[in-house]
Amino acid sequence: MLMPRKVKHRKHHRGRMTGMSKGGNELAFGEYGIQALEPGWLTARQIEAARIAMTRHIKRGGKVWINIFPDKPVTKKPAETRMGSGKGNPEFWVAVVKPGRILFELSFPNPETAREALDRAVQKLPIKARVVTREETI
Amino acid sequence: MSNQTSLTAVANRPTGSSASRRLRAEGRIPGVLYGHGMTPIALSVERRDLRVALSGPAGVNAILELSVDGSTYPAIVKELQRHPVRRTVSHIDFQQINMNEEITVAVPVRLTGNAKAVLAEGGLVDAAVDTIDIRCTAMTLPNEIVIDVTEMQPYDVIRLSEVALPAGVSAVGDPDTAVVTTLFQSKEEVAAPAAEADPAAPAAPAAE
Repeated sequence: MLMPRKVKHRKHHRGRMTGMSKGGNELAFGEYGIQALEPGWLTARQIEAARIAMTRHIKRGGKVWINIFPDKPVTKKPAETRMGSGKGNPEFWVAVVKPGRILFELSFPNPETAREALDRAVQKLPIKARVVTREETI
Repeated sequence: MSNQTSLTAVANRPTGSSASRRLRAEGRIPGVLYGHGMTPIALSVERRDLRVALSGPAGVNAILELSVDGSTYPAIVKELQRHPVRRTVSHIDFQQINMNEEITVAVPVRLTGNAKAVLAEGGLVDAAVDTIDIRCTAMTLPNEIVIDVTEMQPYDVIRLSEVALPAGVSAVGDPDTAVVTTLFQSKEEVAAPAAEADPAAPAAPAAE
């Protein structure tokens, strides 16, 4: 699973997710992609599950790009612990996503299979997302 | 070659984010026209007219005869800003051009042919770039750069210097830039499914 090798600060603030994604809103590598339609935290497990769903469907003959990286640690206090005594322990990693962000990209010769693979990946995500292609209208 | 299309714009639009938002709600796109030493003109165009003008064979690289309050300017689209989610055009930059002077334009790349040798190996021919920056006059501007990939072999790369360009057109940029590549899934990715089926492994954040 994706996680940073080394971090400057072990525990982060939660932060806010207002507004739209400022960059990474267009397909850069592949012919098809998944675009986030709402803000959210995507855990490393969810990213990995989506990747597996996609790569298993296309089998071979394609290429997948993951455009997001879970670099934010999320802490949790142990169960049945009284409040206080400081911030909890880092438990998992998330990528902060805002609407418009391209999450995954895919190149594959068959458009139907590519779409189906991306639809399966969208099912693994905790936010609304859609499949996008390079064709755009004015 | 690029088709010339006409487009009517209205100058002296109100500027500012709220005024621009109101313009977009009325079906007009705020924009600006500049270039060749002229004072920039803040203008707006009808969304529908713009769509018609840029839906020809040249797409967004169409040469426009931009009519602004009685004056006509030859222009190209320099930049299109889009809404990140809705993907509608939210602002447009037009650049005035001289029809006989060279301009630098990004022209889309289209691949033709079927690279059987690559597909037989389970690979994929992929355009490493969407567009190529070229330098030419407006009269010789091609609609697209067509690259034949039929003869490509596994792990072949077509570089910018190897791309056949029409007469009067020269490429801008590093001649060694990869334009078309062949992609293969790494052996790890192909062999991974058996190893991947381990959802119970705890996600301990080890990085410190």
